[in-house]
Amino acid sequence: MTDAPHVLVIGGGSTGCGIARDLAMRGLEVTLVEKGNLTHGTTGRMHGLLHSGGRYAVSDQASAKECIEENRVLREIASHCVEMTGGLFVQRPEDPDEYFEEKLEGCRECGIPAEVLSPEEAREMEPYLAKDIKRAIKVPDGAIDPFRLCVANAASAQEHGARIETHAEVIDVLVEDGAVVGVEIKHDTGPGKRVHREPGSTEKIHADHVVSATGAWAGKIGDMAGVDVEVRPSKGVMTIMNTRQVDTVVNRCRPKGDADIVVPHETTCILGTTDIEVDDPDDYPEEEWEVDMMIDTLSELVPMLANARTIRSFWGVRPLYEPPGTGTTDPTNITRDFFLLDHEDRDGLSGMTSIVGGKFTTYRMMGEKISDHVCEKFDIDAECRTADEPLPGSHDFSILRDYMDEFGLRSPIGRRSVERLGSRAEEVLKTGEPNPVVCECEAVTRAEIQDAIDQSGSDLNAVRIRTRASMGNCQGAFCCHRMAHELYPTYDEPVAYEAFDELFQERWKGERHALWGEQLSQAMLKYSLHSTTMNADHDAVRTGSAIDFSKFDSGQTTAVAGTAGTETAATDGGLPPANGGDQ
Amino acid sequence: MSDAESPSSFDPTAQSFEPVSVFPDAEDMDLRPGADNCYKCTACDTSCPVAEVDDEFPGPKFQGPEQWRLKRKSDEAVDDSIMSCSNCMRCDNACPSSVPLSQMHNTARAEYVDEEMDKLSREYLRNRTLANYRTLASVGSKVPRLTNFVMGNSIVQKINEKILGITAEREFPDFATETFRQWWNKRGGPKVRSEEKRVAYFHGCYSNYNTPEVGKGMVRVFESFGYEVVVPKQGCSGTPMFANGMLADAKREAGITVDNFSGLIDEGYDVIASCTSCSMSLKQEYPELFSMDGIEDLSIHTYEAMEYLRIHEDLEGAIADASVEEQAFAYHAPCHARNQGLDRQAVELFRDLDGVVIEDVGDSCSGISGTYGWKEEKYETSMKIGEEMFGHMEHSTGNVGMTECPTCSMQMEHGTGYDIKHPLQLLEEALVE
Repeated sequence: MTDAPHVLVIGGGSTGCGIARDLAMRGLEVTLVEKGNLTHGTTGRMHGLLHSGGRYAVSDQASAKECIEENRVLREIASHCVEMTGGLFVQRPEDPDEYFEEKLEGCRECGIPAEVLSPEEAREMEPYLAKDIKRAIKVPDGAIDPFRLCVANAASAQEHGARIETHAEVIDVLVEDGAVVGVEIKHDTGPGKRVHREPGSTEKIHADHVVSATGAWAGKIGDMAGVDVEVRPSKGVMTIMNTRQVDTVVNRCRPKGDADIVVPHETTCILGTTDIEVDDPDDYPEEEWEVDMMIDTLSELVPMLANARTIRSFWGVRPLYEPPGTGTTDPTNITRDFFLLDHEDRDGLSGMTSIVGGKFTTYRMMGEKISDHVCEKFDIDAECRTADEPLPGSHDFSILRDYMDEFGLRSPIGRRSVERLGSRAEEVLKTGEPNPVVCECEAVTRAEIQDAIDQSGSDLNAVRIRTRASMGNCQGAFCCHRMAHELYPTYDEPVAYEAFDELFQERWKGERHALWGEQLSQAMLKYSLHSTTMNADHDAVRTGSAIDFSKFDSGQTTAVAGTAGTETAATDGGLPPANGGDQ
Repeated sequence: MSDAESPSSFDPTAQSFEPVSVFPDAEDMDLRPGADNCYKCTACDTSCPVAEVDDEFPGPKFQGPEQWRLKRKSDEAVDDSIMSCSNCMRCDNACPSSVPLSQMHNTARAEYVDEEMDKLSREYLRNRTLANYRTLASVGSKVPRLTNFVMGNSIVQKINEKILGITAEREFPDFATETFRQWWNKRGGPKVRSEEKRVAYFHGCYSNYNTPEVGKGMVRVFESFGYEVVVPKQGCSGTPMFANGMLADAKREAGITVDNFSGLIDEGYDVIASCTSCSMSLKQEYPELFSMDGIEDLSIHTYEAMEYLRIHEDLEGAIADASVEEQAFAYHAPCHARNQGLDRQAVELFRDLDGVVIEDVGDSCSGISGTYGWKEEKYETSMKIGEEMFGHMEHSTGNVGMTECPTCSMQMEHGTGYDIKHPLQLLEEALVE
């Protein structure tokens, strides 16, 4: 392998991980760098739809055909990340008939199995669809877990010798004599697995070729290399419901528009979305009206959404791209196709390729094309095997399901665990140790948490995306601290505290967009639990100030009630603020 | 009018039994709002008497909203621990967020029994037999003395335990030599007629077959206040069926009751029950679990007997003027009475009755929970739960127990050897000469 060219992939999203896996399987030396966790960018901020291609069957048939092809591939190679829910395109009375016909025709032209359902048939499948729907088209849409998929691709790349560096931000692209020769990265906490509080460092990594798979951030990497990559980032909001109002992907069958899809995802449903162009993928407003509008509009399709509990909202940025000079003004009209930018041909800068545009469902195909391109550059004749070789976890595990009792877990907990872990279930869950549930909402046990910690160091957000722990209805109220506790004794208390804080902050980011009704009660309970049991709102140890014990009620000191020590106490037992309280 | 002549046809070994689809329309039974309401505070778990004594039991939060949310529509099985829930329904009361916990448990249990329990297993046959106590009782009470002799035989009890899994530790309750309904028919029905004050009595199975004195007392007390009492044909309240996941049986029985009471409600009758689990079932579980014409109406018009008098009559005044022979009671409030807000009424009322000392033995569960404590494998759990109540009973002044619930009274008697009275019996003693 020492003779193999070294390719550096920037970006730990689905595309980057897909490329890394493909190239590593073809025997190249691969390093992947990602500024945050895997899925940190757009991959971790999508609705998890495995496209049948139906959504593009009218407007973009080339994409539609790719989607159905890759849909079939992913069901095979990523079975533990996919739930084949099926999908519906639902027409309401006010939606145009012509479009419905076009959609149906389009699906057939693209080879997407499509079947027209009467409103009765559609409501039999999905009882909560509005009573006045006109009809529906059934297509093979599915749900896919982008976190699990990305992690599995990275794990497979690693198995084939790749080096994966997360929390390693590219701070410079190294250019020598008109050629890119590598990148300089800043390790957040030193190379390898992330461990909080370890000092960071910078590292120059030289490579024979650099692939930028940075999506909406491709322009920023381009700037470092001195080339212009005009991505058109477009934001979209997604809202997570507490339960599954539908078990099938439900699309609105109308030409285009915001808020037209509901994807059942694990225990939840994800509502999507909006499409608004933004200037900076790192800094754009997250506006409440987007959430409101989405719930209102989608309630026309599934009325019970109007009163259902939402647990959080998040925004993602699409990495849209169009070749210079196309001049599309409405972002919804920009193609979803992907573009391979060979900077040697395009800008006279050799040693670097960017991939922009595209969509999650076709990540593997994009990876294959990029890998073909890179191999061609080095005159390597190696077959792509990513469409045939299952991802780690997706080897046949049908037999395993029958032996779930062996893991000693309660019925839905065992099933959820095995679904997440796929063929890895036995190696992860059979520890011979007590295996209590750590995250109750998502049924994640200690064994699964420990497995994730083994993979990713002290980073609890990395544990979260691997396991779903803290992603359920309490949003970590009852498990963030338990997860942090699982870091000990491998990591010490200050590390665990910092990891806990970071997870907590991340949870709050999405929760704050759902603070009404039940989720507001939930957030208040979370706040009071954590402030009263962990002093999380004001911890003197962590803030460095000494505890002023005089602020506490010293309690009854004599047999006579209401004497020494209590006369100046406020009703909550502490001294009033004027006497040194900290309110 | 006696329904004893026509016991509903039931053969637990019949092969023809097909689990019926109890919820015809998914929309009727939607529990999503229930799952949405839960913010996981665990108040339900801390109130669960089974979880308190059994570390293996995952508790009501898991059985209800958590499992509901984790389970998928199609392929995921309900965990077998649902059969360890005793259906005491204390979690309903504990929840600060209106999660319909017992409804979730009842539906999960029904699903488990329908889909996962072997219909020829000893557990299924035993549970179905216990759940359909009414059918047994209607047969057994035809020859009460013989039945009592046979069931009281320790060899028969051992056989019950070995073959059916019904604990041999407990004594079967004796069947009355004359059922309440036989007495009622012999008496010629109501002695008082009234257009304004009229109630329809839901006696349930136990006061019909085992303690008719409770029903008789109820009738005499109500008639003394000028009420017309009628006793329509009725089924089992369903309580033991819910607790054993036999919703199809419960629905059949509910149908009989709703059919026979609906017309009376239209004519101005309210429905009263002397058993707090029966009134609980008619009030809460019926409309939660079944959709039938008239079931909501029945729910709205159902009261526990003493609750009804406290609302409509000056019961406190009547009691203040009355007196009985000196006696002291250790009163236990059944969990189902607690859920209806009735847990203090007997104590509040009788402490003003001349001659009576009455003490509340605390808010613990008696532990028997209907058929639960009769199961061989649950007996020990049941007695562990009951320990607190037994202790308090022994420390109280009274040496006679008092409670509204038939099975609580079995447990109280079993744990302490005390005689147990129903509040209506004392009310009769105080108010009816």
